[in-house]
Amino acid sequence: MKGIGVSGGIGIGKILLVEEHSLEYTPKQVSDTAAEKARFADAVEQFCANTREQAEALKKTAGEKEAEIMLGHISLVQDPFLLGEVDKLIGGGQCAEASFETMCDMFIQIFSAADDDVTKQRAADVRDVKTGVLSILLGIKEVKLSDVPEGTIICVKELTPSMIAEIKKENVAGILTETGSTTSHSAILARVLEIPAVMSAPDIMKTAQNGEQAVIDGNKGDVILSPDEAQLKAYTEKREKLMQERRELEKFRGKPTVSADGTVYELVCNIGKPEDAAKALEFDGEGVGLFRTEFLFMDKTSVPSEEEQFSEYKKAAMILKGKPLIIRTLDIGGDKDIPYLGLAKEDNPFMGFRAIRYCLKNRDLFRIQLRAILRASAFGNISIMFPLITCVEEVREGKALVEELKAELASEGIEFDRDIKVGIMTETAASGIIADMLAKESDFFSIGTNDLTGYTMAADRGNSDVSYLYSALQPSVLRMIRSIILAARQEGIPVGMCGEAAADPMMIPLLISFGLTEFSVSAPSVLRVRKCISGWTKERADEVAEKVMQLETVQEVKDYLGSVIL
Amino acid sequence: MVSKFLTVPNAQGFHMRPASVFAGAMGKYPCKVTINFNGNSYNAKSTLNLIAACMKCGSEIELVCDGDQEEAALAEGAKMIEDGFGE
Repeated sequence: MKGIGVSGGIGIGKILLVEEHSLEYTPKQVSDTAAEKARFADAVEQFCANTREQAEALKKTAGEKEAEIMLGHISLVQDPFLLGEVDKLIGGGQCAEASFETMCDMFIQIFSAADDDVTKQRAADVRDVKTGVLSILLGIKEVKLSDVPEGTIICVKELTPSMIAEIKKENVAGILTETGSTTSHSAILARVLEIPAVMSAPDIMKTAQNGEQAVIDGNKGDVILSPDEAQLKAYTEKREKLMQERRELEKFRGKPTVSADGTVYELVCNIGKPEDAAKALEFDGEGVGLFRTEFLFMDKTSVPSEEEQFSEYKKAAMILKGKPLIIRTLDIGGDKDIPYLGLAKEDNPFMGFRAIRYCLKNRDLFRIQLRAILRASAFGNISIMFPLITCVEEVREGKALVEELKAELASEGIEFDRDIKVGIMTETAASGIIADMLAKESDFFSIGTNDLTGYTMAADRGNSDVSYLYSALQPSVLRMIRSIILAARQEGIPVGMCGEAAADPMMIPLLISFGLTEFSVSAPSVLRVRKCISGWTKERADEVAEKVMQLETVQEVKDYLGSVIL
Repeated sequence: MVSKFLTVPNAQGFHMRPASVFAGAMGKYPCKVTINFNGNSYNAKSTLNLIAACMKCGSEIELVCDGDQEEAALAEGAKMIEDGFGE
C-alpha cells in the first residue's frame, strides 16, 4: 500500500487503531438561552485549559514554535467573530452543540475550498477545535494517546495536533493516517518530533488490524502490513542505516559549506515552484541556483500574464529574503505539449526550436517574462539565466533585450534591481568549446550537466540502447566541464553546476579541483553534499583530478573514483 | 479613519500563527480593524476571518482602522506585518 511520506525514516511496530468517538447528538431547541450560553462559555473555558496543558507538554517535546500551534487553537475558539455568531444562534434558541458546529462547519467549508494547500490544512485545525469543544459539551472523553506501549504505530483516520501533543515520542514507532498531507500541522509536528509518518494511506482503518505488525517508510510513503521475515530484516537494516546517516548529517545543519582546508562554497537548490523556495530553506539550502519557470506555462490555455509571473517570482524572492535566486527563462521545445505556444512537432526536438532560440524569436512572450523577472528583482537577490546557449549572439541579443526593458521600466517609474546579473546555462557542447568567449559576455555560468552530457555524447539517456554512453564521468564530458570552469575563472566570474552531477560524491572532488564556486542541488541533498565537500582539501582533490583526467574510459574513471571516495 | 497599504512579507502568509497573533494584538484596540484584500473586507480581529482571506506571501493588502485609538492600532498592526510576524 502507498500513501504520502510526510516525515522521514522507517517505522516498524504494532498497529494501534485509534477509533474516534461518535460526536452525534440530537439538536434541540433551548428556552433558557442564558443558561445555554453559560454552558457554552464553560465548555470553551474547559477547552482552553485542556489546550494550554497540551501546549505545555508540546513545548517540552517539540519546542516553543510548535506549542504555538496549540495556542492557535485557543485563539480560534476565542475568535470574536465566531463567538459573536454562536451567541446569536444560541440566542435564537439553538442548543450550544448545534450552534458551535454550524459555525465551525462554515469555516471548515471555506478553508477546504481555498486554492492553496496551507489554508486547506487549517480546516483540520477547526475540526480539531470542533471535536474538542463538542466532546466537552457532550461529556465524552477524548482519545488518549499518552499511554500507548513502546513500538506502537498509531493508525488513525485523521491525526489532530492535540493527539500529537499527547504522544510520547519514545513509544511511537510511526504514524499512519487516512487523511492529511505534507503541510498538515500534524505532519509538521511529526517531522519536528522525528516520528516516521505516512499520511493519506487509502482505507487504512479498514485494512489494518489492531496489533498487526507493520512497516512504514516515511520517505517513500510505503506501508507494509504483516511483513514477511525478509522484508522485516531489510527494513530493520535500512532503519539503522538511515538513523546513523541522519545523526551524521544533522551536524552540518546551519553551518557554512566549507572544504577541509577552509574554502567556502555556495550550496543552493534547484526548484520548480515558488513554494519550493521554502523547502530549500527547510533543508538548509543557501538560496536557489536554478528556478525552472516552465511550471508557469504548463496546464494553461494562454501565456501567463506579466502580473501573474511577477507575483510568482516575487513570492520566491520574498521567501528567500535576500538569499540568491537565479531564475532561468523559459526552457521549452517541441517535446512538450503546450498547445497555445504553437510549437510544431519536430523530428528532433532536442536539436530544434527550443529554449533561448524560441524566446528570441517570440519576443512578445520573452518580454513579458523578462519584465516580470525585472520587476520581481526589486524584492530580493534575483539573477537572470538564459538556457541552451550555443553562440555569443544569443547572449548579446538576450542582454540587449534586458537592457531595453530596464530602460522601459525606469521610464515608467517601476522599481527593479539596476545591477541585476545576467548569466547563462553552459549545457551544450558548443558553449563548452567557446566558454572563453561566452565568459566575456556573461555575469556567471551554470553548468547543466544533464543536457551537457547528452549533447556532448550525442546520447539520449532515455534510450536503453545508447544510455550506456550517458555519463557525466565520460572523459569527454569531464574535459568539457573543466574547460568551462577554467574559462569562468580566467574571466573572474562565478561558475556553478545545477545538474545532478553536482550532488555526486564522485564528481565533487573534481569540481573542487577545477574551481567550481557554486553547487546547486535538490533540497534533500543539501546536507549530504555539504558533508561531502567538508571532507576534501584542494590539494587532495587536485591529486585525484590529475589522475582522473589521464584515464581514458568511463569505467576506469568510475573504478578509480569509487576507490578514493570510500 | 486611517489606513495603510502593505505587502505580506513572510513565506507562509497569514497562516495560523501570524493570524492568531495579529488578531490578538488588534483585539486590544477599541476601534474597528479591517483588512481589504482582493476586493473583500475582513475583520482583522478574527483569526478565522484572516485565515479565510488566504493572504499569501507577496499579497498586497490595505489595513484600515476606524474609531478610538485608530492611529496606535494602525502603527502596531503595520509594524507586525512589515516585520513578517517575526518569522
